[in-house]
Amino acid sequence: MADQSNKQDWAWISAGDADMWREFLSREIPRLYGMFMRRWPNPALAEELVQKTVFDAVRGRSSYEPTKGSGEEWIFGIARNNIRLEIRKRASRPSVDGDISGYMETIDNEPLPDEVLEQKETAAIVKAALAGLASKEQAALRAKYIEGLSARDIGRRLGVTEKAVHSLLYRARISLRRELERMAPADKKG
Amino acid sequence: MKPKEDNLEQNISRLVKLAGDADKPSSEFVDSVMDGALDELKTPGTGAKKEKSGKTTKSKWVKGFAYAASILILVITLTLPSLKRACERKARPLMARKMAPLEYQVSNSKEVSGLNTSPQPPKRKAHFVGTPMSTNKPMALKDAKEEHKVALRVGRPEAGLIVARKLEPGKRNYPPMAHGGTTPPNGEDVDAMFFKNYGVNPFVDTEDDHLSTFATDVDTGSYTVVRRYLHDGHLPPEKAVRVEEFVNYFNYHYAAPQEDDFAVYAEAAPWSFGTGRKNSYLLRLGLKGKQVSEEYRKPAILTFVIDVSGSMRRENRLGLVKRSLRMLVERLREEDRIGIAVYGSRGRKVMDHRGLYEKGEVLGVIESLQAQGSTYAEEGIRIGYEMAEDAYKRGYINRVILCSDGVANVGRTGADDILEVIRKKAEKGITLSAIGFGMGNYNDVLLERLGDKGNGHYVYIDTIAEARRVFEDNLTGTLQVIGRDVKVQVDFNPEVVRSYRLIGYENRDVPDEKFRDDKYDGGEIGAGHSVTALYELKLWPDREGTVATTYVRYKHADTSAVTEFKSPVAVEDFNRSLDSSSSEFKLAATVAEFAEILRKSYWAKGATLDRVLERAQQLSREFEGDGDVIELVDLISKAERLMRDVEDDIFEIEEPVDVGDDEDEFLRP
Repeated sequence: MADQSNKQDWAWISAGDADMWREFLSREIPRLYGMFMRRWPNPALAEELVQKTVFDAVRGRSSYEPTKGSGEEWIFGIARNNIRLEIRKRASRPSVDGDISGYMETIDNEPLPDEVLEQKETAAIVKAALAGLASKEQAALRAKYIEGLSARDIGRRLGVTEKAVHSLLYRARISLRRELERMAPADKKG
Repeated sequence: MKPKEDNLEQNISRLVKLAGDADKPSSEFVDSVMDGALDELKTPGTGAKKEKSGKTTKSKWVKGFAYAASILILVITLTLPSLKRACERKARPLMARKMAPLEYQVSNSKEVSGLNTSPQPPKRKAHFVGTPMSTNKPMALKDAKEEHKVALRVGRPEAGLIVARKLEPGKRNYPPMAHGGTTPPNGEDVDAMFFKNYGVNPFVDTEDDHLSTFATDVDTGSYTVVRRYLHDGHLPPEKAVRVEEFVNYFNYHYAAPQEDDFAVYAEAAPWSFGTGRKNSYLLRLGLKGKQVSEEYRKPAILTFVIDVSGSMRRENRLGLVKRSLRMLVERLREEDRIGIAVYGSRGRKVMDHRGLYEKGEVLGVIESLQAQGSTYAEEGIRIGYEMAEDAYKRGYINRVILCSDGVANVGRTGADDILEVIRKKAEKGITLSAIGFGMGNYNDVLLERLGDKGNGHYVYIDTIAEARRVFEDNLTGTLQVIGRDVKVQVDFNPEVVRSYRLIGYENRDVPDEKFRDDKYDGGEIGAGHSVTALYELKLWPDREGTVATTYVRYKHADTSAVTEFKSPVAVEDFNRSLDSSSSEFKLAATVAEFAEILRKSYWAKGATLDRVLERAQQLSREFEGDGDVIELVDLISKAERLMRDVEDDIFEIEEPVDVGDDEDEFLRP
């Protein structure tokens, strides 16, 4: 996996050379993201794990030893470790029913379990629910949460003020929740 | 729990991402991680130190972390003196006001602390505020009643981000805390939480006192409160841990008696826990109430008294109350009746009792409740009891259900008067369930006492799953009491038992001579409920015969006829080893060890959670699929991790008692 083209001297990792790190991360972040997504098809979790891995790597850079392997091997080792931690975390909690309709009642108050996000059905329901929204609301949600744009950038794109973007997003979230409820009615077990 | 909008937004954010391109991250995400990483590069690396928290704080640290940190640190440092004064000015009167009617004493011994003045990433280390930490040492019997009242002064815990928080004008701004420790786990401003230290029972020489008497307790509030702490990444304060409520949270599958009201079960095995003690045994006594099936449950007249004061808006407590009550209402039958009173600044009746065939309207009223104002608990509870009295019917379950965070800050007379009202009504047959919600300024002491005086019980609901457990899975037991003033007296045989200690039940102590005083308050046990008590025993070597005789005395719930029965256990009944004991016995031992370590019991000295965790993991295989046991494993492992972080602090504590080599020295504290 090591970058053969230039037999790299990996000493810059622990030295903290910003340019080298930038190049390294711009190459590794998408790879890491892909690896996490293959394990759990859950973009939010993948982002979280990527952040954690990168952060672990940067903070632990002085522990890197070039003799033990390339920088890629090293950061993927950290990533695998984070996968292991995640697996352990999951093993120690009760198994979760991944059906989103079981969580509509609590969607306002409690974080959805990752298992729900990893269901194929959930992605399908979300896509359908998004499609049911007014186009402006849809665009705002996508820009904010998929593209990760700031409110100012979204406002510029949609030609509205930043403040309007905030209230648009607020309305859009409520609409999306309503659509989700329609698609996946909360199951009343009581 | 986060405020509503936060959680919804986070959930929506995570869901919407599912609609994106699954293969690659957005370029904004890549940029922001990269920016954050490059900023982080400017601070010195931390060697091989690993991040212990599994959760990273999302995208907040990424942009300009170090810059923001250093600028904000400067701001915080410059404003520190005035900030501290402001905190004190605001926090003290607030606590005094809240506590005045309850006559609590505040130990405000440490100043607000935890300020990190270097831009380095925060060290994961616990921070103890409030009273200085000490090992929870056993008390001499005569001191056991002495009350240590504690109010914890607390700050806002925020892991990792501690330097990046903005100071908001007009809001109370506590300095941020490091991760872990005994800070409360909610995101709101926090005033005080109330727990009470009841001490730890000592070993008692059987020759001095061969009788151990206590009132039963089916409460489980302590376990769920602690669970909440651990889930949020904090060790609970020791006072929040009541061992018996931990032990009683679990189902030990005692068979329900067919004809009698109660059955007693005993099991014992060698037990080594903590250092310095050899040849210890653990004795488990289980008391199981008769099962009543849902069809045979008596119809219920329930009066909800709901706290709708401003504090209930925090963490959406009122939302959880509403969902819990909705669940309960859905489960009730048509002949059951419900009335609702609320209290904020004033108490008021919201809905007269009506039958459940009008379910829709009842649900509508519950839904319409809104939180505002201060907390005039006394008036609300009085109104609730008046309503309950008007609606009272013989042969029904007459129950007031108080839903509150326990904070009572307005009232003329204070807790003792409320407690007296409740006690009197309980004599007439109107009982009380105290249901706790919320965490920030949660008053565990008041609710526990209310449930106790009201001949009812006290539970703490932290999640909708817990509400389900109380109101759905266990509704009959929650509502229908089968035995009142239940007391247990264990008579140890001095010929066989050298000394014993009751594990937990410190606040349920009954003087031995009051066991047969039927006016003396005992505990209440609902249909199908069970109560488990654990004793650690020291036996004389090579003796045989009866170890102990358990006497149970109670009033029949309907007729008030007093019944007493006994059940002996002999040395010959003891298991040879812990491993050869039943899974349920091992579970009780594990739970007790967990609680003892968490509350830093003197008797847990030298015991570590990693061993407890190991046993719990083994048990989770034996109890395959039992959610409670799986959760226990999770909680122990969380606590174990947190304790490891604070280990250094714990072992720096000076040993309060000179133990020496002679263990007999500390058998008589």
